[in-house]
Amino acid sequence: MIDPGLALATRGLRKSYGSRLALDGLDLSVPTGVVYGFLGPNGAGKTTTMRVLTGLIHPDGGAIELLGRPFTRRDRHRLFDVGALVESPAFYPYLSGRDNLRALAASGAPTPTSRVDEVLEVVGLRERAGDAVSRYSLGMKQRLGIAGALLNDPTLLLLDEPSNGLDPAGIVAIRETFRHLASLGKTVFVSSHLLAEVQQMADVVGIIAAGRMVREGSMQELLASEGIVRVRVEPDEVTAAAATLARLTAPDRVTPSVMEPGWISVQIAPDRTAEVNRSLAEAGIYASGLSSGNDLEELFLTLTGDAASTDPDGTFAGIDPSLGRLPSSEVLS
Amino acid sequence: MRLFVSALRKLAPRMATLLTFGLLAGMLVLIDVAVVATRGVSNAGPDRPANVLALITFPGAYNQILSFILGLGGLFAVIYGAAIAGSEWTWGTLKTSVARGESRSRYLLTTFAAIAVVLAVGVLFALVVGVVAAAIGATIAGVGLAGIGDRAALEALPEHFVRGWVAITETAALGFAVATLARSQLAGIGVGIALYFGETFAGLFLPDVVKYLPFHLATAAVGGSTGFAPVPSVTGPVMSTDTALVLVATWLLASLVVAAGFGERAEITG
Repeated sequence: MIDPGLALATRGLRKSYGSRLALDGLDLSVPTGVVYGFLGPNGAGKTTTMRVLTGLIHPDGGAIELLGRPFTRRDRHRLFDVGALVESPAFYPYLSGRDNLRALAASGAPTPTSRVDEVLEVVGLRERAGDAVSRYSLGMKQRLGIAGALLNDPTLLLLDEPSNGLDPAGIVAIRETFRHLASLGKTVFVSSHLLAEVQQMADVVGIIAAGRMVREGSMQELLASEGIVRVRVEPDEVTAAAATLARLTAPDRVTPSVMEPGWISVQIAPDRTAEVNRSLAEAGIYASGLSSGNDLEELFLTLTGDAASTDPDGTFAGIDPSLGRLPSSEVLS
Repeated sequence: MRLFVSALRKLAPRMATLLTFGLLAGMLVLIDVAVVATRGVSNAGPDRPANVLALITFPGAYNQILSFILGLGGLFAVIYGAAIAGSEWTWGTLKTSVARGESRSRYLLTTFAAIAVVLAVGVLFALVVGVVAAAIGATIAGVGLAGIGDRAALEALPEHFVRGWVAITETAALGFAVATLARSQLAGIGVGIALYFGETFAGLFLPDVVKYLPFHLATAAVGGSTGFAPVPSVTGPVMSTDTALVLVATWLLASLVVAAGFGERAEITG
């Protein structure tokens, strides 16, 4: 027994695909009755985690507890209390949305037929429920996928990128639905790339990189403790600047960016921004850009570092979230 | 039971179902039309008109129609079984059910049970269409319908039907297993067709071996080759239809065990 207050927990979860390590001792602690944001760069192991938690693949090692009880490959009935949307939603294209949900309701947890129309109402698809799924837009399929996850009135929801394809109104509606479910004591575990969305929705955040949990805690605590100041100096001054900034905090809290040459992230309280600037100036290094904040994106980039742009094989695995970001209003130049 | 009913409901409106049995029935009608249209042609030899008219001459027409359905039905069934099993992986619908806590093997075997029922209904449908078309053809061709109520032929029909149904269910199971192993609709269909024609081709060189393979056994179980069966019976020692039926059932069960066993252990990704 890990902790009776947890809806979901993993300890030392490991999974490899051939020689590639996808999960490297993942420890996850998801409290009951919260919206949990599960963040990580491409290739970090988020989808592998989702697959393991839903019994689609089997871990090489480690332990899982679902709703307070161990979950192994012989415990598929534990999933009767879980609703899941793993990767893209999957349906029979020639059947209507309603018939797809009816077919889904016939598998797994016993589900009353009346529940189908209830969940269609929740996701706003009731009017189009009679149309074939092949005629649905990406966003409608995503809504139907969420409806499928809600079908058995689950105690724990596992959702992989649930906002994919949704329009802004849909994103807001889904966010409110998840918040409402959490207020009812249900647990919503959401894997997402949309950092701003998670920041608005989640009570607790876990950040995974290279198959390991790098930071986990309540959103408020993390943001309060993890202020970030970013400075831009000339690329040939990065080493000297990093050494100077390390004296203000600690060497492991100073991270030069690989993707943005010249930028350095410092984990330090935002109210020490002026001190950062002054110490650089005293060392004869003049910052051409400076920003401070404690938003989730800064925290994510700092914690995941280069893993945000490269997978464990060292090949490009996705867009670094920092690319294309405009300087904040606090940038000095 | 709810899973089985749901599987049937999923199969009924499916294009693969409508196409498979529509094509089978449609081809029977077309053949009867061709027979009626060419009934006066005698330039292909003195015996040809009589042989051709046998297709619409009762009571022999019953066996002719059933043999056609079961012969071509073997190929259609392997494709149908592969299409249904493969789409569960390709569309990700197996994944969704497994994530709801459904047993993988129960899901796969229930899906196949529904396929077997659909095959029975589909073959019956094609048989009825074939008999009606042959009766209409016989009337137009002036062959007469005297034998249509032949008691011996009608009494033998259910047994032939059941044997034939088991035989094509076996080939469907083969396609189902191949597509499950391949986790792909297209790969399953492709390999199923290749096995069908590969077995036919191999029968020319290795008749003693090939007679134990699924498509030849299916043919043997319904009483050997007829003029319509695409898989010709092999030469060599004759196998009784009952022995063939037992071996057909063995292939059927083995295919399902392989499919369920693989499904139970497979890592479901994508």
